Amino acid sequence: MINLVNLVNLVNLVNLVNLVNLVNLVNLVNIVNIVTRTTLFALILLAASPAFAQDNYKLGPDSMLQQGVPLGVVTQHKWTSKKVFPGTVRDYWIYVPRQYDGKSPAAVMVFQDGGTYVNTKRSFRIPTVFDNLIHKGEMPVTIGIFLNPGSIPATRPGGKPRRNRSFEYDTLSGQYARFLLEEILPEVGKRYKLSDDPALRAICGISSGGICAWTVAWERPDQFSKVLSHVGSFTNIRGGHVYPAVIRKTEPKPIRIFLQDGTNDLDNLHGSWPLSNRQMAAALKFSKYDHKFVMGTGGHNGRHGGAIMPESLKWLWRGWNEKTTAGEKKSR
Amino acid sequence: MTRFPTRVRRVRLARLAWTVLLCCGSIASAQDMPLTQVLLPGESWQLVGSGYRFTEGPAVDSAGNVFFTDIPNDRIHRIDAVTGTVTVFAEKTARTNGLMFGSDGLLYGCRNGDKQVVAYAADGSHTVIASDISCNDLVVGSDLRLFVTDPGGGKVWTIDAKRHKRVVAEGISPNGVILWPGEGTLVVTERNHPHLWTYRVEPDGSLSHRERYYLPLRLLPGRDRPGSDGMTVDTNGRLYVTSHAGVQMFDPTGRMGGVIAKPHGGSLANVVFGGPKRNVMYVTAGDRVYRRKTRVQGVAYFLKPQARRR
Repeated sequence: MINLVNLVNLVNLVNLVNLVNLVNLVNLVNIVNIVTRTTLFALILLAASPAFAQDNYKLGPDSMLQQGVPLGVVTQHKWTSKKVFPGTVRDYWIYVPRQYDGKSPAAVMVFQDGGTYVNTKRSFRIPTVFDNLIHKGEMPVTIGIFLNPGSIPATRPGGKPRRNRSFEYDTLSGQYARFLLEEILPEVGKRYKLSDDPALRAICGISSGGICAWTVAWERPDQFSKVLSHVGSFTNIRGGHVYPAVIRKTEPKPIRIFLQDGTNDLDNLHGSWPLSNRQMAAALKFSKYDHKFVMGTGGHNGRHGGAIMPESLKWLWRGWNEKTTAGEKKSR
Repeated sequence: MTRFPTRVRRVRLARLAWTVLLCCGSIASAQDMPLTQVLLPGESWQLVGSGYRFTEGPAVDSAGNVFFTDIPNDRIHRIDAVTGTVTVFAEKTARTNGLMFGSDGLLYGCRNGDKQVVAYAADGSHTVIASDISCNDLVVGSDLRLFVTDPGGGKVWTIDAKRHKRVVAEGISPNGVILWPGEGTLVVTERNHPHLWTYRVEPDGSLSHRERYYLPLRLLPGRDRPGSDGMTVDTNGRLYVTSHAGVQMFDPTGRMGGVIAKPHGGSLANVVFGGPKRNVMYVTAGDRVYRRKTRVQGVAYFLKPQARRR
């Protein structure tokens, strides 16, 4: 186990949040080059662990480019927070579907660890999946906002950046929701018309990004009503293990949630991910939430979540057309 | 086992690293730092000394000797790094509280009875660094810049190497204070709040971008105040804070990794890593001082120039 612990320390040396960030990959490779044989063992051990064998999920056609499907456009941006997470800097991406006409407001879906979800070569491939589903009318014309977690760079020579991911994602408060509502949505809204109907606002994340998605909807169900969680950290990282108990004893909120986890997910000092997700599902069932829970056999990664991404999105957005029509009728 | 030629090994390692990253990247976001990485099986607290009135301010020197203050008795004691023998280092210390060594070999202290920040020389004599300053605890950066807490006044002060003092944070009741390894971030405790504050340290010593980064602290059942006090950090960036519940350990992303049990039922004020390898955790606990061996190594800012040369 010591070797695994070393590996964990090693991985912690680099900010792996920005997985698409090549600089970090280069850093890791450099660090790997200088570590001892024991770490090689650890890597082999990890690679051979049961979690890997159980992660053999395949992507379907909705996660692949399809002929005749119009392609949306992804642009990359930087954001420096001045208000809600002051001093943090982060990359983010905006996906705009070809069907967006600039006149009617688009639905919105926000992704934590955005770099992971916007990447079209890995598991999630959201731009491709969105292209396909929007084309088929299985989800609304949706603008995707892919936010990386923030980091406060050090200004003193030799200082390390303050990595803000856990603070932003794991903390039980409305702060991240405020960040979206007071900084990000107004900024993206300068360029694109975004719907303010909570039924047309969804939020998604993996691991701590998953509990973050839930927390945003829990704090502001008037703003976000759809949640998609992959291997969500409903564990005691910063007290998030209490949600199942709190959900059972709180008047239900208008939230629709899709939860994915795997039997080989983490079991560590913060808790057991499979047990915590089961507890969440049981509490959501008890309080009669509109929810779906899919328990696979994978580990703490996005393979299973990626493979079922199209189905998850279809379930999450089901009835979007009727809902919008009803909303329009009501407003008339 | 067969040793691979270095180049082959590097290529394989790099390829494996890529595989791990691409296949299970999110594992990285959930890496953990449990107490088992810190504590040694079979090792527990050992009494170093007792019979004091209130111990505080543990500080390590370059040899690993630990100095602490017995505030009501106006004495600073020295614990020998090797033998563990406790001797008196200075007397009539005017309620000196927080202590830390600087890269100049002097022992900086909050001489609160005189409302001074001072520096003790090896013979126990002292020179005044700043006057008219109420102070509880301090941290000394590798450049001899000090950060000093004034709980009563609700201020954090900085004193630069030229001994100019100025207020850099207000509006909180600061108690313990520590710098991260690398000294880019300052952490401040408030005894009554279940979080620790982080600030970015600017090159001129001013503080910016305050955040409740370490949160939540553990509270004892039935209590709403953690009693967080002194802190120390290890070379992996873990942060240790004394509290009513014990020594609470946090990982570098602000997540609590575990609580180390208190050595006895009394109060727990401060913590430092001492010993020749700086791998022995020392705590000041009311009328006593305890220590225990660990698997980690404390950070001594005054050693930074050496560390850089390596």
